[in-house]
Amino acid sequence: MSTKHTESLRDFYQQGLDAIRARFEEHQSTRAAGLEAVQARAKLADELVQKLWARFSNDPKLKTGVALLAVGGYGRGQLFPYSDLDLLYLLDGSRSELELKDSIRKINQEIWDCGIRASPSNRLISECSSLIPGNPEFTLSLMDHRFLAGDRKLYDKLAEQTLPKLLASEHRTLIARLVEITLERHNKYANTLFHLEPNIKDCPGGLRDVHVCGWLTTLYTIAAHAQKHARPAPGNLTEFQHATEFLSTVRCFLHYSHGRDDNTLYWHSQDSAAAAGLALGHTGNRKIDASVWMRSFFRNARTIHRRTMQLLEEAPRVKGSTLYEQIRRRHKRVQAEGFHIEHGRIIFDTPASAKNDPANDPDIVLDLFETIARHGCKLSSEAEDRLEPALPLLAANLEEGPALWNHFRNILNAPYAGEALRAMHALGILELIVPEFLGIDALVIRDAYHRYTVDEHTFVLIDTLHALRNPVETLPTGRPNLLLEWQRRFGGLLADLPHPELLYLSALMHDTGKGRDTPDHSKESARMAKNLFSRMEFDPYESGIVKHLIVNHLAMSNALRRDIFDMETLRVFAEQVETPEQLRMLALLTYADISAVHPDALTPWKAENLWNLYIAASNYLDRTVDDDRVKSRASSELIARVTTLSPASSKEIRAYLQGFPQRYLRTRTPEQVFSHFEMSQKLPPAAEDPEKAEPEARAVELALNHALPVSELTLVARDRSRLFATMAGGLAAWGMDIVNADAFSNGAGIVVDSFHFIDRFRTLEMNPTERTRFLKSMKDALTGVESIEVLLATRTRNGKRRTPKVVVETQISFDHDASSHSTLLQVVAQDVPGLLRAIAVTVADHECNIEVALIDTEGEMAIDGFYITRHGFKLDATRANQLREALIVAIARNEL
Amino acid sequence: MQKIEAIIQPSKLDAVKEALLEQGVQGMTILEARGHGRQKGHTETYRGREYSVDLLPKIKIEMVVADDAAEAIITAISAAARSGKIGDGKIFVSRVDTAIRIRNDERGDVAL
Repeated sequence: MSTKHTESLRDFYQQGLDAIRARFEEHQSTRAAGLEAVQARAKLADELVQKLWARFSNDPKLKTGVALLAVGGYGRGQLFPYSDLDLLYLLDGSRSELELKDSIRKINQEIWDCGIRASPSNRLISECSSLIPGNPEFTLSLMDHRFLAGDRKLYDKLAEQTLPKLLASEHRTLIARLVEITLERHNKYANTLFHLEPNIKDCPGGLRDVHVCGWLTTLYTIAAHAQKHARPAPGNLTEFQHATEFLSTVRCFLHYSHGRDDNTLYWHSQDSAAAAGLALGHTGNRKIDASVWMRSFFRNARTIHRRTMQLLEEAPRVKGSTLYEQIRRRHKRVQAEGFHIEHGRIIFDTPASAKNDPANDPDIVLDLFETIARHGCKLSSEAEDRLEPALPLLAANLEEGPALWNHFRNILNAPYAGEALRAMHALGILELIVPEFLGIDALVIRDAYHRYTVDEHTFVLIDTLHALRNPVETLPTGRPNLLLEWQRRFGGLLADLPHPELLYLSALMHDTGKGRDTPDHSKESARMAKNLFSRMEFDPYESGIVKHLIVNHLAMSNALRRDIFDMETLRVFAEQVETPEQLRMLALLTYADISAVHPDALTPWKAENLWNLYIAASNYLDRTVDDDRVKSRASSELIARVTTLSPASSKEIRAYLQGFPQRYLRTRTPEQVFSHFEMSQKLPPAAEDPEKAEPEARAVELALNHALPVSELTLVARDRSRLFATMAGGLAAWGMDIVNADAFSNGAGIVVDSFHFIDRFRTLEMNPTERTRFLKSMKDALTGVESIEVLLATRTRNGKRRTPKVVVETQISFDHDASSHSTLLQVVAQDVPGLLRAIAVTVADHECNIEVALIDTEGEMAIDGFYITRHGFKLDATRANQLREALIVAIARNEL
Repeated sequence: MQKIEAIIQPSKLDAVKEALLEQGVQGMTILEARGHGRQKGHTETYRGREYSVDLLPKIKIEMVVADDAAEAIITAISAAARSGKIGDGKIFVSRVDTAIRIRNDERGDVAL
């Protein structure tokens, strides 16, 4: 071919490319600009290749038996600016490759000389009729093919006979291989589409996934045909198509700006894309921030990723493939009302055309997501396609209030809550329940630290919390888990939470405020959560906990930036958290919040500091409880909340509260405190000598709140010796297992002792009438009508003492500096029935008064703290030692 | 040129970083560390278990600077990291033969 001719073709090609680029740059703000450009470039390349082929038409070796095909991306009719041309010379075998070598080489040379980067290959048609061992990828690439030039009949034979026959016989192997290589690729990118500088071709949710979706759809259709049934038509793919257009435009943009086939969306590329308003539609003169543009990017990538994962889920399981375990957790068939789980996917029982479509029933739909949360299964494509159009009906029929909270709580508490929430979010169902979540959909916090969008960060945080229940020694990557020790410790805190759902709900809501333009997203998130509380009809205790956690969710992270061993830091932090339960929840939320910023954000160093801060703050809260007392004249929100319940009794309420530890107020709802106040008003006047007074003068008030699994018994009485011991003994006599307790007294000598217990023999549960007898029995023991020792002797049902799984050594310590006027006695011992009474009786026998008691259990360990005085003073060293010896004996005797 | 290694309290990191920026220090390496000098650790008892904090959390900052800038930078670090209490940390200075920028093979002070 003459050089002049080649030059003329090259010029023609280059002018065509320039025109395509100019048109792209003029229209790059439109979503479809990229697709138009790549299709135009493919057409231009077709024209050039065909012109070149025509120039060699006189070569007799090329007249028959050789067909030139476009394959790969070029075969799909798409050529990105710096992508290679994938060409296949298909040969019928009538001439050897050696014979054709020169002819083919000349064409390839011309193509290169025209400025096209081509990747040519030769194959005999017979080689295309079977899978090449170890290289099924060749067949996959052949699935996208177009005739360019040469022997049409040869091409038709491939397209209409050879390839369909191969796919019909080998589709299972091809599906398996395609799933394998896709999962391997996803693994390389940590199975997430959230990267600071994503590769828009290879990352999950990228353009490679679009190709995978196309191939899998074709192969599944062939598979369905082989089994003689029709594959259901996919639902609405408009969003998927739009997402593909968006990414195609981004890829074009990157190629042009990098000047090479580089598909990484670098930081500066994001800025440039935003400045150009790339693929967002017409933005007018409005400047787009890079974080706003990236929000669009992640939304589109998420759509593609979701569809890809759905299609991967459909693949039949291949024995022995560990990669399949990543997408399958359950193979057991599970049946529920309206749907069932099959091969890890949820399928509705009845067709969409049925009279009562289960997809329209909110209860069934919420059950469905509870099932996902429990089992970690996924929605089938068909189920998703039915749920999306059902949204308006679901919105209209969704009940609010406790019923809704019941469902939602079950979802939040289940081990795969994150997956269920992601599925709900993708379908818009989460926003029906929590509209506040809409503001953080794909919201990007654009800095070098935040890897995930705000919504995904929330889900990762919830995943992290649940993962604390079962920490693993080796990570899925094969590396050792460096955080194992810390996951175990924090996991222990999670296991002890009485209301973990409140923690998960706080996690869900904690960053919703970022969707608003506000300087303090914590306060805004808490404010937004108020609407949720009223929709779910939360009581003040529940909403108080969640609100407090959200408002203060950064308090621990902030404290970590200061000297965590400094008392002032501890004091300020402890005042923010107020109670041990809040502290525990905050520690967990902080642990997971840091973890969910970035996979490497929580280092063992940070985890250790967080743990140290937690235990220092926990000890600080316990050590200051005795000194930190209510001053009724002080203006306090906590006091105000109680007095507003009965403004007429405001003076009396303040008098009642005077001298109680602040802990008492902080760990009760205003309603509970008011109820105790009312009980105190029924007590007889204080006797001159309470120890010798008649039973009527020693009357007490008891309140039983029977609930499963933990009930509460509260005593309000005038202080005298052995009240606490008697309560503990009475509960032990009735076979109750004390889980935790506290005891507080005010300045006027009124005590409030609350015991949370488990009814081991289900006496009160099975026999409601026994509750009245139980209360009478306790009252008689407390007023001296009946001797507690007699009660213990006649009623004690120890049952079979189980052998403890963990043996706990008894530890007794005294801290004379924790309080200004009491000695802090701390006892750690094996949690067995009667322990608390044994301790309390021994303390009373040594003429000590319990000012404050904080009783807790952790597994088989009882952890009891008592602020005690002897005749109104701290214990001296001698008395403390005597008490220690006596406690050791009493505890050992009780254990026998 | 000189290498400066400063071991400081974690709570002083922000202040030290700011001070270094004011001195025109462009690059530094920050490491999470543990250690103690005269400030010994302590033991915290929590729910019956003892947790020893023998090695306290510290931050180590490393940088290589030109000779004529070293003294001012050391002074700036000291001032920003100081609280006056035991445990404030230490600064170590050592000689560096040369520095090379990997991207373009620049050597010497210009690579700093």
